[in-house]
Amino acid sequence: MNQSEFTRRLFMQGMAGVAGATAAGGIFGAAAAEGEALRFWAPGIAKVAAKDFSAMAAQAGIGINNIAKSARADEAIQKMVVGDGQKLFDALTDNGGGMEDAMAENKAVVPLDTAKIPNWANILPDYNEGGAAAETIRYEGKVYAVPYISNADSMAYNYDELGFHPDSWGVMFDSQFKGRVALQNDYGPTLTNVAIYLKESGKIEIDNPSDMNPKEVKAVCEFLIDHKKKGQFRTFWDGFQNGVDLLASKEVVMSSCWEPIQLVARKKGANIHYGTMKEGHQTWNNVLMFTKGGRQRGMDEAFYKLANVYLSPWFGARTLATFGFAPQMTGVDDYLNANTEDFDEAARERLLDILNRKQQRYAVKGNSWQNVFPTHIREYLDWWSRLQAA
Amino acid sequence: MTAETSPAIEPPAGRGRDIAAKPRWRRFLTGEDGIQKVVFYIPLVFMTLFFALPVALTLVWSVFERTRFWMEPGFTLFAYETFFTSARAENFLHAMMHSAGAVVISFVLGFPIAVFVRRRVPEIAQHRVILLFILPFMISELIRIFALRPVLSRHGLLNSFLMDIGVISEPISAILFTPLGVVIGEVLSFLPFMVFSGFLAMEAVQKYVFEVCDDLGAGTVSTFKDIIVPLAAPGIFAGSVFIFVNGLGVGLIPNILGGPGATNAGSIVFESIVALDFPLAMAVSAIMIVTLMALLYIGHRLFDLTRILEPIS
Repeated sequence: MNQSEFTRRLFMQGMAGVAGATAAGGIFGAAAAEGEALRFWAPGIAKVAAKDFSAMAAQAGIGINNIAKSARADEAIQKMVVGDGQKLFDALTDNGGGMEDAMAENKAVVPLDTAKIPNWANILPDYNEGGAAAETIRYEGKVYAVPYISNADSMAYNYDELGFHPDSWGVMFDSQFKGRVALQNDYGPTLTNVAIYLKESGKIEIDNPSDMNPKEVKAVCEFLIDHKKKGQFRTFWDGFQNGVDLLASKEVVMSSCWEPIQLVARKKGANIHYGTMKEGHQTWNNVLMFTKGGRQRGMDEAFYKLANVYLSPWFGARTLATFGFAPQMTGVDDYLNANTEDFDEAARERLLDILNRKQQRYAVKGNSWQNVFPTHIREYLDWWSRLQAA
Repeated sequence: MTAETSPAIEPPAGRGRDIAAKPRWRRFLTGEDGIQKVVFYIPLVFMTLFFALPVALTLVWSVFERTRFWMEPGFTLFAYETFFTSARAENFLHAMMHSAGAVVISFVLGFPIAVFVRRRVPEIAQHRVILLFILPFMISELIRIFALRPVLSRHGLLNSFLMDIGVISEPISAILFTPLGVVIGEVLSFLPFMVFSGFLAMEAVQKYVFEVCDDLGAGTVSTFKDIIVPLAAPGIFAGSVFIFVNGLGVGLIPNILGGPGATNAGSIVFESIVALDFPLAMAVSAIMIVTLMALLYIGHRLFDLTRILEPIS
């Protein structure tokens, strides 16, 4: 499923389907809100603590009418820019680092007043002006989006097969693992992660791995084409289950992938770990946006209440526990330690360990934030097709 | 001329008199110029709305200018240039070759089944037997294709079996995540198309034809090659087109069974749409439509596809 249908977006689509089966058209927590329910176009990964959005609605003190959403960029653009999305939805979620630009440029979403979100004070410092992730929620200097989940994508590997814990992307290109390596079938994260590796290891000069110029795209793809021709890669995976199966069945010994894939593959019995790469990782987030239609209908208060929940440690702790996604606010560790009734000691230890490892991954200097629509996107696609054909 | 001097105008006997006697709504429902005529226009309207119009829009949008997140009216062949100057054309040709391979294998495996059912199965049971081939279509295509993974993989059933009986000592890795894997997936997914259309064509071949061949001493191979295949050619071609089109367009198969970066026309279109390059997606679709129309035209000239729809005599 993202940027293929079999990409993280498809995974989200799958999760959305689960939510949609139970939540489509339903109004949750209606008793909590006096006004109209917020019509919220979002996938299942945008909620925690219940099978539907009822817990989110109760926490926010509003009504939420969730309409299940896939995470496909083209669908969101078509619906919100040329379709009837403005009539249908008050708020929506999508990928940061590009979709907020697309939506804002087409006036599909409106700028936000962060003063109306008390928990904005908790937001991770990277999102403040000048921070590494600042541009993933802004368009022309104004905040248009509230981040609610993120992660730093890395490599999953089978420790039993490798016998060591790799800390460099370089191991994926080591000839001793020829034919036992998988990459994600998505030009965005794959080219960005390989660019980070090539830049940080000094092999190729690259200015910005998330927004390469044509010469840099060519150099990265030629590197991959060379290794593909030598038989280094078993396949490029598409789709969540596909990614899990490759690792769990030992068809490959390592794969660049999303963290939940490693978690599920591990549950299937394979000794799969998720590493921290010293060169860096592509970091990405998903964001909440307020539609022009929602503002016209006066849904500001409900929207800001929901945004406030997304930036609360209550949500952060639960999205970490449920999906393994990184919280977007500070104070989650304090929250976990203070809420022993919700998280027993074993759960707290496990979550704090995951959080600690995530923070280590986020601290790597070479990390680069996702850019959904790089400036030279056609070069990316043209060279990706050459890699496919090689 | 006045009414008095002119002969009285009476409705002509027969049909005209009936028309005059029937109320207008009844004439509309039963008359040749009424609903019966309209019914004949329904396919035309349907084809215009759901085929001609989308094809026309595809062609028009393919020459639009791309904007950052959408497209705007204009005329440029840039999307076509992009298709032919990048490796997409090469990927498209590879996909065509894989599909052609799947067509050949499906013919070899599927058409004899159609012939066998027509020739050996009692007439009363033939349709039921053929309907059994619908069963795979009742399972999600994704599941059908994904289910091949545990069979064909390095540690899968096939490799385990071959190793257990001592045919191989190391797992064969060339079956999955290779063009061979894609062709296997296409054959297993689309084989019923060949069986259906082959059987449909074989229904037009009367059983006495086989008897005549036997009486004249024609061998199995020459009967098949010189009699059956030419008679069933339109059906074989129709089945081949179904398989070829699906092989070219269903992106799941190369995604799940293909090697690194395996793709086909459907995947190319999808990747373009996800990157919001709508003119490129339209251009690839237009190229696909033209390719398939050309194939249909050639097939029709060679085999006269209308024969498959002729009543059985």
